[in-house]
Amino acid sequence: MSQLLNISGLSAGTEEKPILHDMNLSVGAGETHVLMGPNGAGKSTLGHVIMGDPVYKVSGGTITFDGQDITDKTPDKRSLAGIFLSYQAPVEVPGVPLYSFLRTITQMRPELKMTARKFRQRVGEICDQLDMGQGFLTRELNVGFSGGEKKKVEMLQLLLLKPKLAILDETDSGLDVDALSVVSRGIEAYRRECDGALLMITHNTRILEKLDVDRTHVMVKGRLVAEGPASLIDDIDQNGFARFEQDGAAAQKAEA
Amino acid sequence: MASYTAEEPTVTLERVNTPPAQTWNYLKTNDITLTVPKLSRKGDVYFALPRLFDKVETGMGQKVTDWVTSQAADSTYVEVKAGEKNHAPIVVDVDSNAGTVQDAGVLVRQGASATVVVVAHGTSAEPQTSAALVRIIVEEGAHLSLVEVVATTDAHHHLESVGIHADAGATLDIRQFLLGAGVTALGTCATLAGDNGRVSLQTHYLGEHEQTLDINHVVRMAGKNGRAEVHENGILNDSARKSLRATIDLIHGGSGSKGNEAETVLVNGDGVVNKTMPVILCDEDDVQGNHGATIGSVEPEQIDYLMDRGLSRDEATNLFVRALFDDALIEADQPLARKAVFERAQQVLGAEVAQNLLDTLGLELAADAGEKDADAQATATATKESAD
Ligand SMILES: Nc1ncnc2c1ncn2[C@@H]1O[C@H](COP(=O)(O)OP(=O)(O)OP(=O)(O)O)[C@@H](O)[C@H]1O
Ligand SMILES: [Mg+2]
Repeated sequence: MSQLLNISGLSAGTEEKPILHDMNLSVGAGETHVLMGPNGAGKSTLGHVIMGDPVYKVSGGTITFDGQDITDKTPDKRSLAGIFLSYQAPVEVPGVPLYSFLRTITQMRPELKMTARKFRQRVGEICDQLDMGQGFLTRELNVGFSGGEKKKVEMLQLLLLKPKLAILDETDSGLDVDALSVVSRGIEAYRRECDGALLMITHNTRILEKLDVDRTHVMVKGRLVAEGPASLIDDIDQNGFARFEQDGAAAQKAEA
Repeated sequence: MASYTAEEPTVTLERVNTPPAQTWNYLKTNDITLTVPKLSRKGDVYFALPRLFDKVETGMGQKVTDWVTSQAADSTYVEVKAGEKNHAPIVVDVDSNAGTVQDAGVLVRQGASATVVVVAHGTSAEPQTSAALVRIIVEEGAHLSLVEVVATTDAHHHLESVGIHADAGATLDIRQFLLGAGVTALGTCATLAGDNGRVSLQTHYLGEHEQTLDINHVVRMAGKNGRAEVHENGILNDSARKSLRATIDLIHGGSGSKGNEAETVLVNGDGVVNKTMPVILCDEDDVQGNHGATIGSVEPEQIDYLMDRGLSRDEATNLFVRALFDDALIEADQPLARKAVFERAQQVLGAEVAQNLLDTLGLELAADAGEKDADAQATATATKESAD
C-alpha cells in the first residue's frame, strides 16, 4: 500500500552539525507509530525536519507526504497539506490572543472553514474535552501558561485542525495524572474522529497502553537502529537502550 | 511628506507637539515640523468657541490651535448638563478625504457623564491634511470617555490636538487607536486641576510602510491624590517612524498623587525608527511616578511556530496587527468609529481577514453608520444652539 509519509535516505542537521544520518521511515495512513531513543538521539530534530523547520538543512534524501515531494516546501505548506507537529516546548507568542490565533489557522483551510458561531461551538467542545477553562482563549498564545497548559493548547489545535499526520513530541511529558488521562483521551478522539496517523515521540510507555501501536522505531545518535512491532516497547521498558546503543556505534564505525 | 502643488498656499508649523521639558535633546525627538494648507475662509461665518476653552492646555500647543481655528469651517460646541448621564455620544467626524479641519469644545458639567468620539477616516490616495482640535472641560465629579480613531491612508496627514481640563473628582478614560495615516501627529494634554482626579490614557498604534507617528502625551497632576495611568501599545513594521514623548508632571501641591507610564512596542522591520522619551517631572515630595518601556521584536522561533500551523510569513506577522484591530473593533464601538476601523482593517489585512475579524468577535457593522453619525451631529448642533 502507498504510504502517507515516506522518508528515504534522509540526512539533516544545522549549518555546523550533522544530526540525522541516512534515515528511512514510512508511516501509512491511519497508522500509529512510536519513535523512541535516548536523550539527544535526534527525535525532536526529526520531527522538526519533517515539518520543514528552517533551522535545519537537509543534506540528502527526500520526504514525501501524501504522494508529494515536500522536501523543499515551507512549513506552512506542509501544515496545510496535513502535517502537524506538537512541540516538545511550545513557543510563547505575546500580542496574539489564543482565540484569534485559532480562528485564523482554521480559516486558512478550505476544508475547515466554518461560521464564527460554529467555530465558537467547536472550540467550546474541545475545551470541555480537554478540561480547559474558556478563560484561556482570551489570553495571549502560550504566554505564562504552565507546561501542562501549553501541551493542552497543542492538543486543542490538533483536534481543531484534524491533520492527516500528527507528530507528538513528548506531548505526554510533564503532565500530572489527570492531565495525562485528558491528553490520552484527546489522542484517542483524534484517532477516532479523523482516523489520523500518529508518530509518537515519547519516553513514557504508559501513554501507549491505550493505543494500538502498529510500529516502533528506535533511534540512537541520529540513526534508526531498530524497527519492530508494539512488543519492542516492552523490551525497551525492561532492558533500556544499551543493546541499540552498541548497534548504533557499530553502524557509525562501519560507515566511517 | 505629501507634496502640494504651487497654487495651494501652505504654512509651516514649526516645532509643534512639544513636551513640557525638553531634556533629552540628543534623541532629536522633541517636536515635529509640519507643512499644512493655509486657506482663507471665504464668506463662511465662523463662530469661535466660548472663551473659557482658551485656558485649556492642548497636547500639540498654541500654534496648532491657532492654525485650526483659522482653518476650521465652523466650531462645534456641546454642553452636557449637570448630572446628565445619558447624553448621546458626541461625534467629531473628520473626513480626511476632504481635508476636514474640526474645532470642537465640550463642557461636561458637574456630575455628568459624556462620551466623545473623534474619528479621522478616509480611503483616498489623494494627498490631504486633516485636523481635529478637541478641547474638553470636565467639571467636578464628572466622567469623560474619549475615544479617538485615526484610520486613514498613507496619502493623508492628520493632526489631532486634545486638551482636557478636569476639576476635582473627575475621571477621564481616553482610548486612542492610531491605525494609519502617512503622518499622524497627535498631542494629548490632560490636566487634573482638582483633588482626586483620575486619568487613564491608553494609546494603541500601528505604523507601517513609511508612515510617521509623532505622539506627545502630557498629564499634569496639580490636585491632591490624583491617579494617572498612561499606557502605549504599538506595532512598527517596515520603515515606520515613531516618536513618543510622554510626560507626567507631578506639580507642587499635588501630594499623594501617583502616575504610571508604560509602553510596549513590537518592532518588525529593519527600517523602523522607534524613539521614546518618557519624563516624570516631580516638584513635590509626597508623590510617586514610574515609567517603563518594553521593546520587543518578533522572534524567528515565534514566526516558525506560527508557520508550522499553516500561516505564511506575512500571515504570521499580520496576526499581531490583527490583534490590534481586534482591540480597536471591540473598544471603539460607536458606529462611525467601528466602520472606520473596519475599513482600515480591510486595507491593511485584506477584505476577507477583516470580515473574519468581525465574525470572530461576533460583531456587525451598523448598516447606517453614516446616518447615525448625522443624527449625532444634529444632536450636537441642537445642544449648541440651546447653549448659545
Ligand atoms: N538547533 C540546534 N542547534 C544545535 N544543536 C542542535 C540543534 N537542534 C538539535 N541539536 C542537537 O542535536 C542532537 C539531537 O537533539 P534532539 O533535540 O533532536 O534530541 P531528542 O532525541 O529529541 O532528545 P530528548 O529525548 O532529550 O528530547 C542533540 O545533541 C542536540 O543538542
Ligand atoms: Mg526531544
